Amino acid sequence: MAGKSGREINAVPQNSVKQKILSWEGGLVIIFVAVLILGAVISPTYNFFSVFREMPKYLCEIFMMFAMGYILIIAEIDISVGAIVCLAATLGCFAGNAGAPLAGVIAVCIGVGFLAGCLNGVILTHFTELPSMIVTLGTQIIFRGIAEVSLGSGGSVSMSNSKIIMPLATMVGPFPLVFFFVAIAAVIFIFSLSRTTFGRKLYAVGSNHTAAHYAGIPVQKIRMICFVLIGTMAGVCALFYLSTTFGANTTTGQGYEMDVIAMCVFGGIATTGGKGNLIGATIAGFTIVCLRIALGQRNINTQLILVIIGLLLIISVLIPRISEVLGNRKRRAVQG
Amino acid sequence: MQQKKSFWKRLTGSREASLVLILVALLIVVTILSGGTFLTPSNISQIFRNNALTMLMALGMLCVLLTAGIDISITSILAFSGMTIGLLQKYDILHNTFLLFLIAALIGTGCGLLNGLIISKGKVAPIICTMGGMYIWRGLAYVISNNNWASGADVSGFSDFGKDGSVGPYIILAIAYVVFFIVMKWTTFGRRIYAVGSNAEAAEVSGINVDKVISLVYMIMGLLAGLSGALSVSIYASAQPNMQYGKEMDVIAACVIGGVSMNGGRGSVVGTFLGALFYAIVAKALPLVGLESIWQNLIKGIIVLAVVLLNVLTQRAMDRANLERREL
Repeated sequence: MAGKSGREINAVPQNSVKQKILSWEGGLVIIFVAVLILGAVISPTYNFFSVFREMPKYLCEIFMMFAMGYILIIAEIDISVGAIVCLAATLGCFAGNAGAPLAGVIAVCIGVGFLAGCLNGVILTHFTELPSMIVTLGTQIIFRGIAEVSLGSGGSVSMSNSKIIMPLATMVGPFPLVFFFVAIAAVIFIFSLSRTTFGRKLYAVGSNHTAAHYAGIPVQKIRMICFVLIGTMAGVCALFYLSTTFGANTTTGQGYEMDVIAMCVFGGIATTGGKGNLIGATIAGFTIVCLRIALGQRNINTQLILVIIGLLLIISVLIPRISEVLGNRKRRAVQG
Repeated sequence: MQQKKSFWKRLTGSREASLVLILVALLIVVTILSGGTFLTPSNISQIFRNNALTMLMALGMLCVLLTAGIDISITSILAFSGMTIGLLQKYDILHNTFLLFLIAALIGTGCGLLNGLIISKGKVAPIICTMGGMYIWRGLAYVISNNNWASGADVSGFSDFGKDGSVGPYIILAIAYVVFFIVMKWTTFGRRIYAVGSNAEAAEVSGINVDKVISLVYMIMGLLAGLSGALSVSIYASAQPNMQYGKEMDVIAACVIGGVSMNGGRGSVVGTFLGALFYAIVAKALPLVGLESIWQNLIKGIIVLAVVLLNVLTQRAMDRANLERREL
């Protein structure tokens, strides 16, 4: 909460924030390595090849994570992405069953995601006084509602001809195809966030959107782009989801939005906007994916992962606060 | 002309009054469409029974939203506390209905207090903290259940409290709403919640212990979520770790329809009740007017969005009218 925070932030020198973020990623790498070792210890089949083989079904969330990073950096939130995945996967499946080729399925999935993102964006940019939480809460129910209506009373659909989508599930050497797409997306998203004016504008909007507006940054245009982007990425996610499950049902994508936000926050992106970067989020995302594979292989209570993600999330947001309190105490001790 | 304007303003100015009007209109339409079979006693009692959990938790969510926070861990707390008492009965450890309710409420209170402390003392954003809670409590519900679930036979004695025809759920709802109405309107604590939500810094300066209020608010939310856990086991006569998954959004939506602002400081118990009731009536009315239940979520979503957008438009119109009057 605000409190006297306005002053406190100003008092912190720029460098220490930078150092903190740098060490944050260092810490994430250590955790990542620890997870890999843990996996190798608890599961005899946990190795380079098996991890990559089992990766596709967990990787599709990562696409949305990049865009969610953008959304959080501009101090917005989008909780409708899980529902967009459900809708896009459902309609993509219908398209495949109606005889559309792979290109058609791809077009439907990504197109649905794009349109859903446009709807969010248009509402949010035309009714700027509304928080994105409420709007995406509403559209979340609507998108899933449309999927439920189109799925009918059965509540699920499966690909009658899974050959259509198989090209997306191929392996290139030991790597699944989707891994390369994630890698390409990672490079594009990380590069444009840290090395382009667009990326810098995101931070400006997130830090103070009024100031950004007066500095001539088209705030509403940026918000629109981000929401369209995350919708489109949800479409991509739905596409790869189809390529691993060959079907969709009414619970498809449930909880994805929270998983994705958790990855971003664990990766050091603040939900208050303007802070963090996607390198940390990418490492955090892969850490969680590898952890899931390890627990999945051992077949131990897979829901334990929920407890672990929750703990990681809370601890990772508490650490800066604890170090701040300790720092204050030290400063007071020095002054006294 | 002047009089008409002031009447219109009185209606749109008070969220509760306009909601009552909309509710009455909705009821008339549904009654006509269903051929007068809607407002029967059994239908009305079912509306309350089927939505008791949402209505109960909406009260806590009102307090949380009033402090400009949010709590998305409620259904996980519900699952954890419900699963706990379900298992206590499954393994024949405890069968006393009152004690089981007490245990569920205590578990919920503990979870809520933890949320509150992390948010107030740890300065963690409410959505992040409760998202963590959402994972942890749901995960723990799965872990303690160990892939089992408590069936109707396991909770047979306990489910008498909430079975069709029992007055238990209605009494809990009625007590909760009366207590909250009084607390929010006429006690220092209630007014402090509004003060913290309207302007936390001003509240702090005027001597309100903001951290304490925020901790208490999340604790109350947890208490209600825990109670809802027991109520859920009782009403649906089973306990599964995945119960009420994703329903926290329904609770928030009910509050939003009831005019509770997500920026804090605005909202009332009556509005929350009407919002939850509106949501419940729509859900119940859809099958009666010939729409299948699969249409429910779509219609609900459209209503949430429409209400929110309508709210903005009326607010804009009012602001413009005020501005024009000042210019004259």
